[in-house]
Amino acid sequence: MHIHELNPWRTLIALSAFILILVIGFLTMPKPLISYEKTIAESVSALAESEAYFYPWELEDVIANKPDSILLFDIRDNFIYGQGHIPGAENMSANSLTREENIERLKDLRDKGVTIVIYGKDELQANGPWMLFRQVGFNNIKLLLGGYSYYKEHHDDLYSTIDDDAYFKGFARFDFAEMAAPANGVALTNESEDKPLQVQRRQKSDVAAGGC
Amino acid sequence: MNRNYIFLTILMLVLAVGTLFLTVDDEPNQIDPEELLQEIIQPSRYVTTDQVAKMIIQGDPSLMLIDVRSEDDYAYYSLPGSVNVPLDSLLVSDNLSYLGVPGTKVVFVSNDDIKADQTWVLAKRLGYNSIYVLKGGLNCWMQTIIDPQSPSTDAGYDDYETYTFRKGAQIYFTGAVADDSESDKVDVQVKRRAKSNVAAGGC
Repeated sequence: MHIHELNPWRTLIALSAFILILVIGFLTMPKPLISYEKTIAESVSALAESEAYFYPWELEDVIANKPDSILLFDIRDNFIYGQGHIPGAENMSANSLTREENIERLKDLRDKGVTIVIYGKDELQANGPWMLFRQVGFNNIKLLLGGYSYYKEHHDDLYSTIDDDAYFKGFARFDFAEMAAPANGVALTNESEDKPLQVQRRQKSDVAAGGC
Repeated sequence: MNRNYIFLTILMLVLAVGTLFLTVDDEPNQIDPEELLQEIIQPSRYVTTDQVAKMIIQGDPSLMLIDVRSEDDYAYYSLPGSVNVPLDSLLVSDNLSYLGVPGTKVVFVSNDDIKADQTWVLAKRLGYNSIYVLKGGLNCWMQTIIDPQSPSTDAGYDDYETYTFRKGAQIYFTGAVADDSESDKVDVQVKRRAKSNVAAGGC
């Protein structure tokens, strides 16, 4: 005689307890605040989209008319923000970006269809946060090209920067090879041609590396 | 048949069907977005051209330079010892094997620092450590190492020390001739301490 046959309800009780635990587990599973919505490959190709960037000359209109559909966020520290910022910009320092209330705020603004422009002291400072937000699905967040430093230099006449290309990053400003050529005209012996470059690569392995 | 066994069988079947709906995580080593954001806001990933120049000159075996510009740009000019991995082809697993080698520091290099920084963010998302960005990129390399500017006369001692190092690095990287015009024709004025019989006090 099996133990289940002693009390037929026993199995049913155990079964309901089991299912109850499963349901509770699913309901209380912590939901991450943000999660990736673009794969790495999609993120790489998204970098080429021009609508992901905000140009300095577009600021002219934003500052003058303060449209509800565009909001500027300054990610520099609060102290530096206090010393001067783009008119109408709100401060959300880089350190506070991960705070839950800020993420919720950004989500809220996204749902309302507000375009958010973030900037740091230069383009580089805002580049990382901007990339991350685009990867987790904030497609309304744009990066101000040139950052605050470019704005500060040209804030008197922003509209004329439409013809300026000084704020575009990623271009060589010099003729590298010519500049780095030896001054006395003697060709340097190019070592890289003589001996192959020694490069370390990670070893591929299917087995877990064991200790001793 | 016992009714209980039927219950149990049905439960097992339901759970088995449920496993079909599990999503497959295609990038298992990815770090959480929140963790990535924490990493991003730290400025510790930037290395200066001086630091990189020093490591190249000293032949630091742990330095690994990855040039993320296009193949043409790389072929035209590149830093000594760098390898070319354009940003678009970073994800080819063959190229990813440059990253995460124990004991090496990977420094991403581009024309300026934006593209290198973008590569950094993507590599960081994949969970790689010991990766850095050359601040200012090759434009800054040209300005500081290949063509260093003499500091103004009221600059501090540190500035002069940096300048001296950069001049030396310039000779190393370009084979330029060192000019020592300034040190030739200066009369050395030496001040000597006045002798005194009283013991100098002080603490």
